[in-house]
Amino acid sequence: MNVFQQDPVDYYGSRFLAVLIVAGIALVLYSLIRYRGRAAGPVPWGVLLAGVAVLPILVTSAGTVLALQRAERVEFCASCHLTMKPFVDDMKNPKSGSLASLHYANRYIADNQCYVCHTSYGLFGTFEAKKEGLHDVFAYYTRSFHLPVKLKHPYPNGDCLKCHGESVKWLASHADFKDQVFSGELSCLQCHAVKTPAHSVALLK
Amino acid sequence: MELNSPLSKRLLIAAQVLALIVYAAALQFLIHTTGGTLFVFTTAAPVLIAVAMIMLGGVLVHHYRRSHSLFVFATFEPGQIVFRQGDEGDCAYFIHSGEVEVLQEEGGKQKPVAVLGKGEYFGEASLIGSAPRNATVRAASRTRAAVLGKDNFLTLLSLMPATQEDVMQRVKERAMKQAAR
Ligand code: HEC
Ligand code: HEC
Ligand code: HEC
Repeated sequence: MNVFQQDPVDYYGSRFLAVLIVAGIALVLYSLIRYRGRAAGPVPWGVLLAGVAVLPILVTSAGTVLALQRAERVEFCASCHLTMKPFVDDMKNPKSGSLASLHYANRYIADNQCYVCHTSYGLFGTFEAKKEGLHDVFAYYTRSFHLPVKLKHPYPNGDCLKCHGESVKWLASHADFKDQVFSGELSCLQCHAVKTPAHSVALLK
Repeated sequence: MELNSPLSKRLLIAAQVLALIVYAAALQFLIHTTGGTLFVFTTAAPVLIAVAMIMLGGVLVHHYRRSHSLFVFATFEPGQIVFRQGDEGDCAYFIHSGEVEVLQEEGGKQKPVAVLGKGEYFGEASLIGSAPRNATVRAASRTRAAVLGKDNFLTLLSLMPATQEDVMQRVKERAMKQAAR
């Protein structure tokens, strides 16, 4: 997390969610103890509907917004230790020399570094990534994944170009072959992975 | 099925337990966000909420239909409980055939206080006073009764003053009899 900038969604979202959860639990417990499953009249029904329907819906909606936000964090990636920890360790090691490490150490990418390099922009980029991510989490906890971890699709140039592609500096230094790079004939990694691989991890088998 | 029958009670309690599970999953995700807690919260919670709401809706519709029912015939087998003392009242019963026993419960014991037969009615008292059932009623023989929901029962009374007087008289008599015991 960035020390100099609070994330408003997480800051207010998590407090709001906490209040909703506490209120919901209190209402349900009150109704269970007070009415023990009998409901007659508007007050018991009101308490019941609030505790069992209204608040849970609010909790899941607010929670989903927060979940989408938190799923972008590096710590979140790291929570699947067995598969992701080597990549996180490498990125946070300033001596590694990998692309991920260079971008992290110099904060070329300020926050959520894994997420930023591994999602495509566009309307459904982040949605797509999260859908696939949910699938991967399932595979992780059911231990139905295979090492070494590989990308599902070849890494798209667009994910680098979204930052570099319109930079004057980059356009100048890559003028000779930028068309092939834009069209995807030539991958950034074909040249750059030689000196600076995306990640320097001894891949687990 | 009576309002607040064991089934409807169980459904309401189950729905509340499901809601508690949703809150617990949300709390776990909030405090300790990992792939696992996020996955459980975002995928299981909506399903649990949907199930809880279906349970709640079922009971709500049942309650509504009961208290609005218009002379639905119901049959009770010998020994079957029509309603229990202390239950919430939602219907009055008009006996078409058969007999029922009225039982007063005291300290866990059931004392028979009356037997009602064809042409008589019961269950009206808690509709007028909105108090819980003041006795347990059990079918003594195979009994067919017309069931009138609370709302319709009260409408009937307000439309027919003669019936109202008759019913009020009966409620009073029964109350005095009970007080005398
Ligand atoms: C600078 C951008 C960048 C950052 C930051 C980054 N990655 Fe990558 N990652 C890549 C690229 C490019 C590839 C594709 C490597 C290839 O195909 O050779 C890749 C590949 C991967 C792979 C597939 C295995 C492999 O080596 O091909 C995994 C897993 C992965 N990254 C995880 C992570 C995690 C976890 C983080 C955060 C700790 C992260 N990445 C941060 C650019 C990045
Ligand atoms: C979020 C934006 C962003 C993304 C995504 C990104 N970069 Fe960068 N990168 C930067 C910035 C900012 C710099 C520093 C300015 C510069 O050198 O142009 C940089 C620097 C670099 C450097 C020079 C590193 C050094 O310090 O010598 C290389 C090489 C590079 N990026 C390659 C890539 C590749 C390959 C990808 C895709 C896998 C990529 N970048 C993805 C923002 C990004
Ligand atoms: C044909 C080989 C080749 C390809 C393809 C290529 N680069 Fe480079 N790139 C170089 C060379 C050579 C340098 C300069 C020397 C160095 O820093 O290694 C360089 C330097 C850079 C730099 C640092 C200096 C600058 O201009 O900002 C960045 C950033 C960079 N490349 C990003 C990219 C990205 C992003 C892609 C893919 C979209 C890419 N490169 C594709 C060869 C390539």
